[in-house]
Amino acid sequence: MKARFILFLFGALFSLELHAQFGPENGVKASEPKFVLLQHATIMVKPGQTLADCDLLLHEGKIVQVGKNLKQDGAVALDYTGKVLVPSFIDLYSSIGLDPVAFKNNGWRPQLESNKEGAYYWNEAVHPELTAASAFKLVDNSTDQLQQAGFGFALTHHMDGVVRGSAAFVALGQKEVHQQIISAKAAQVFSFSKGASNQTYPSSQMGSIALLRQALYDLDYYSKNKANLSYSVSLSEWEELSKLPTFFKTDDKWEILRAQKIAKEFKTNFLFIGSGNEYAIASDLKAQNAQLVLPLTFPEAFEVNDPYLAREIPLSELKHWELAPSNAMLLKKAGLDIAFTTYGLKNADQFWTALRKTIARGLSASDAMAALTTVPASWIGLGAQVGTLEAGKHASFSVFSADPFAFEAQLLETWNLGEARYWKAQNPTNLIGTYSVKLPDTTYELVVTGSPDKPQGKVVYKTTTDTLSTKANILLKQQDVAIQFISIGTTNPQLIQLHAKVLKNGMVLEGEGTDAKGAWFQWSAIQQQTTPKPAPVTLKSDSTAYGQVWFPNMAFGTSAKATAQTILFKNATVWTNEKEGIVKGADVLVVNGKIKEVSRQNMNAPAGARVIDAAGLHLTSGIIDEHSHLAISRGVNEGGQAITAEVSIADVVNPDDIDIYRQLAGGVTAAQLLHGSANPIGGQSALIKFKWGVTPDEMLIDNAPKFIKCALGENVKQANWGDFNTVRFPQTRMGVEQVFYDGFYRAKAYQKEWDAYKAGKTRVAPRVDLELEVLAEILRSERFITCHSYIQSEINMLMHVADSMGFRINTFTHILEGYKVADKMNKHGVAGSTFSDWWAYKFEVNDAIPYNAALMTEQGVVVCINSDDAEMGRRLNQEAAKTVKYGGLSEEQAWKLVTLNPAKTLHLDAEMGSVKAGKAADLVLWTANPLSIEARVSLTMIDGVVYYEEALQAQKQQQIEQERVRILSLMLAAGERGEATKTPQKKAKKHYHCDTLGEEATESENAH
Amino acid sequence: MWSATLSAQRILLLHGTAHIGNGNVLESAAIGVVNDRITFVKNSLTQSFSKQDWDTIINCNGQHFYPSLVSANNTLGLTEIDAVRATRDFNDVGDWNPHVRAQVAYNVESKVVETTRTNGVLLVQATPRGGWISGSSAVMKLSGWNWEDATVLADDGIHLNWPYDPKNYATQKRDIYSFFELAKTYATDRDDQISDLRLEAMKACFIANKRVYIHAESIQQIVDIIDFAASFQLAFPVIVGGRDAHLVGAKLRDSKIPIMLSRVHSLPSREDDLTFLPYQMPSLLKAQGIPFCIQNDGDMQPMNTRNLPFQAGTTIAYGLTAEEALKSVSLSVCQIMGIDKDYGTLEAGKKATFFVSKGPALDMRTNQLTTILVDGKLVSTTNFQEQLYLKYRQKYKAE
Repeated sequence: MKARFILFLFGALFSLELHAQFGPENGVKASEPKFVLLQHATIMVKPGQTLADCDLLLHEGKIVQVGKNLKQDGAVALDYTGKVLVPSFIDLYSSIGLDPVAFKNNGWRPQLESNKEGAYYWNEAVHPELTAASAFKLVDNSTDQLQQAGFGFALTHHMDGVVRGSAAFVALGQKEVHQQIISAKAAQVFSFSKGASNQTYPSSQMGSIALLRQALYDLDYYSKNKANLSYSVSLSEWEELSKLPTFFKTDDKWEILRAQKIAKEFKTNFLFIGSGNEYAIASDLKAQNAQLVLPLTFPEAFEVNDPYLAREIPLSELKHWELAPSNAMLLKKAGLDIAFTTYGLKNADQFWTALRKTIARGLSASDAMAALTTVPASWIGLGAQVGTLEAGKHASFSVFSADPFAFEAQLLETWNLGEARYWKAQNPTNLIGTYSVKLPDTTYELVVTGSPDKPQGKVVYKTTTDTLSTKANILLKQQDVAIQFISIGTTNPQLIQLHAKVLKNGMVLEGEGTDAKGAWFQWSAIQQQTTPKPAPVTLKSDSTAYGQVWFPNMAFGTSAKATAQTILFKNATVWTNEKEGIVKGADVLVVNGKIKEVSRQNMNAPAGARVIDAAGLHLTSGIIDEHSHLAISRGVNEGGQAITAEVSIADVVNPDDIDIYRQLAGGVTAAQLLHGSANPIGGQSALIKFKWGVTPDEMLIDNAPKFIKCALGENVKQANWGDFNTVRFPQTRMGVEQVFYDGFYRAKAYQKEWDAYKAGKTRVAPRVDLELEVLAEILRSERFITCHSYIQSEINMLMHVADSMGFRINTFTHILEGYKVADKMNKHGVAGSTFSDWWAYKFEVNDAIPYNAALMTEQGVVVCINSDDAEMGRRLNQEAAKTVKYGGLSEEQAWKLVTLNPAKTLHLDAEMGSVKAGKAADLVLWTANPLSIEARVSLTMIDGVVYYEEALQAQKQQQIEQERVRILSLMLAAGERGEATKTPQKKAKKHYHCDTLGEEATESENAH
Repeated sequence: MWSATLSAQRILLLHGTAHIGNGNVLESAAIGVVNDRITFVKNSLTQSFSKQDWDTIINCNGQHFYPSLVSANNTLGLTEIDAVRATRDFNDVGDWNPHVRAQVAYNVESKVVETTRTNGVLLVQATPRGGWISGSSAVMKLSGWNWEDATVLADDGIHLNWPYDPKNYATQKRDIYSFFELAKTYATDRDDQISDLRLEAMKACFIANKRVYIHAESIQQIVDIIDFAASFQLAFPVIVGGRDAHLVGAKLRDSKIPIMLSRVHSLPSREDDLTFLPYQMPSLLKAQGIPFCIQNDGDMQPMNTRNLPFQAGTTIAYGLTAEEALKSVSLSVCQIMGIDKDYGTLEAGKKATFFVSKGPALDMRTNQLTTILVDGKLVSTTNFQEQLYLKYRQKYKAE
């Protein structure tokens, strides 16, 4: 056995090159690699640097030198006149060379634990041990399309799971596999998708977020304490990846901000794989200095010929269609660094079409080139090896007929690590034109039409009186052409078969032919008229001819973010919710987002203030919905386990929900966005204001008290989930109690462990457990429970649990049998947040009565009326009014059920819930008594910003229609140009309810 | 308390504001009821009444008289608890079920029925769901001993769910045409022998007054239904839903097809729609002269039927007058279903199915019923929920 261990040292230009090729060779030893010299090329060395008439010297897969008139003994010299060399592109989001992810079906029974055998992490979606390099192999022509798109390198990894393991940086081409792996562990990749794992947890995006955070804490704990811990393959392998660049795959712009929070928590940096709609929040991303790898998959235009169908396309999709190709330009303009990936594209043509579109939208040629070469190279720390055509780098480049960033150039060749692959000829044989064909006896005219690669022929014979013609078959293979036709102008038509070499760029054909008798003869043809060679098409760019981004980028969005105004309401009937009660003829002044003054005296407007004549109108503080599930991304329930205190709705707030605007139109200014009721201890709440056109963080109420959702009843015991969901504990109300006790006892122990550590009694920091952290907060009364509840037994039970643990349940929500235990609730000090009149949808609501709110109020319980429903949410004023009918509350009492009482219940009453100087200017102006059936919202403001005005709705509708028509006509034009189109589909808006499982919302649900 | 239906008698109601149901209001009205019918509605101040002519005289000083609110297209009485399969009796197996009849499954003793009645809804069109043709609905009273005496009109119409999926639209539409061609041929066949229960149930749609209720929302569906109804010369086609109806104005008006409009309290079906479009729909249709009524199909519809008055009430803020709003849940519904000869207004000769409310009944604060009559019989104004309320109130008072 012969081992080969080659070491070359070529002066200062060469690095030490070691080839780990230890295998035996079959046959004689091949010669040492030769030098290759590409001469007279145009070399695009790197973005912004192009050298004309320049040479490139290659050796052993590396670039030796770039310069004019290079000489090298023994080099194979090739003439590259007129050809353009571009460094190979780099794709940072790829799975080339890896087997596709296997999704298996485990049947209907939920799988609570990991099915993966071995010493791995407990959750199948976390598999840092997966190593792309160990599975990497390139088969057949699997990278042809990528190469023809100009790519020579890819960062490849298993596209599966939340923690996906290491990615390998590989070269494309036909080199032997060891050489293709440039860097075996070049990066690691995370995402929020659990991928092929069938484990129930996580079933939502907030669950994925919590899982990733917990796993990162576990990694840290393991690194510090592994000597004393049992061995974990996953965590051991992961330790090794910690210092690598970390890519984060996202499916929506907001996910970038979500992941960024994790990066900050763990003092690390993520590079993001974008989804294509990042332009809509460019300035927010700039504030984060996010590094973005952008896809080039743009939505197809809709078929919009049928107006019935066209009206089903929401403006949000129309606007995204228009602006998606501007994504890169808008982000670059905002000052962000970008790279591109081919992820989601089917072939090289799609790539070039999309890239040219991007350039047409105003992304500069050098930025486009950088996004494909130097930027990705530097992001993975391989800038010294790839990304430019400079000495010492890998000889990977593409050869084009012209500068591909300036012209519609043809890709001719790709060189991967010094090895060439020829895709197209520089000047393909082109026979288009008219030839004079000389045969032994006759002279014909041959007219060639069609396209250069599919020529079509016609033979013409002219006599003095007549012109005859016949079809000729032409078969062109590079420089050989075969022509067949039936002779004309002779007495006996016969088959003529010709073959020739194409000479002088198609000007001359010379060869042999045979006639019907089988006789061979010499023939030739000369082109009479030449067709001029088409010049390459220049790429044009224009960044101005497109629409604006709206905030949010959909119907009812605005072209600029709204700002706070100084506003004076004159002469309103003010429902103060204070001891003054309902005050007629009052003025209310709003300055800097706060209520400055409420007065019965005639107030003078400050300079520049907007004065609103509110005579005959009613002014109230904004409605606060204690129980809402809208504006949430990818899952309202993390139902994967019985206790999921670690997840938080605040992590997944979605500002692009049209129902936000609809709540504003109903006078709702704030809400608690609750986790669903799929498990006894669900997730943390988000306390938000319904600000329109802002980021998720801007929606979250500053310094809001901490809340968590718990749940009792049929949902948590999965009573209505079908016959397969009988596996998860608990399945009875008996079990539910024990889940709570178990959780809280574990949290007590956890607290004790940390207390000891913090007091210096133990030396090793305990493991951070995100679930128990939150439960311990409850025990310390730093986090409040809002508990979904129905019947008196379970309500009573949970109060006992809390009493025995020394804390208080803050709120029972739904609380439909609250009226039966209202005295006990009052004693415990818990608020009740209920529906006005819902019942009959489940067995446990049999005794639900609409007098519930009144009865609890009479017993001294702080009562709220909530929605749990986007439709009802926008008419909570009507729902509150029902308590006047059912149980006879006064109008003032009734109104507080949706304003002051939820503010108190949510511990926000210092800031909101009444019209009082100093409180937040979350105000609503009503056309009539807000409890009246005839009341409409005239204006809604939050923190002094007017977000909804009834008087502007007609104008808004017009704006929406105009924008629709403008984009629809662009779409129609795109369809006529031949761009791909798709049929519009009516999509019903889906809503989350308490028991909606998984990431997808449902159209309607009967259970709450 | 348990729906104490007394036997029919002579009842005189005095001094209320009568909301007739046809748009008119009569202040200081007196209503006379003999047996099951209204004998007069007239000014109570200008008339004198002798005590001995009446078994019961109710002085409704300052209160309001309303005809029964009527809930069209509803599973009320056909289901009790949505989540409990055993109580769901509104959706049977099969795509073509005109023969499946709601009347016989209607549970007049439903607790949900009881809580609906006390808000003024005294008649319901109990309606099956599912398939292409869900079944035959029936107009039922919300009071009675059993489904027989609760029936106002059995098998008042079949319910056809018009296809909406653009992918299979042509084929599915063809299937419906085929079924109707078959049914029409059967209906006009002289042979009286019952040979096909499905087609037998369709017969009255072609040769009698049975309505064809066609459930559809979009503009494409509506224009196709107009053609469909014309091509089969349907005497009483009705569109149920009709979210796009306001866009087809003139054509719909000419077709004379009435609309049972989708639930008022719903969100717009499109992101780009005006926020309150569903609240505005009734006034948009009224402005275009399209006959319509309001119905309550949707999530949790049986229990939500008690909010029908407030759904109608909401339209007052969006373009209808209070009396037009009332009409949209009383007379208009009865006209569309073909029971307006007996129901829908407070007029002499009609069935005495109406109620008295302390204040305007379409506003939640003042919808407080003091008297309910169903076909001349006084019906309890309380329900088990109010009894539970009083029971626990008593408990707290005692403590």
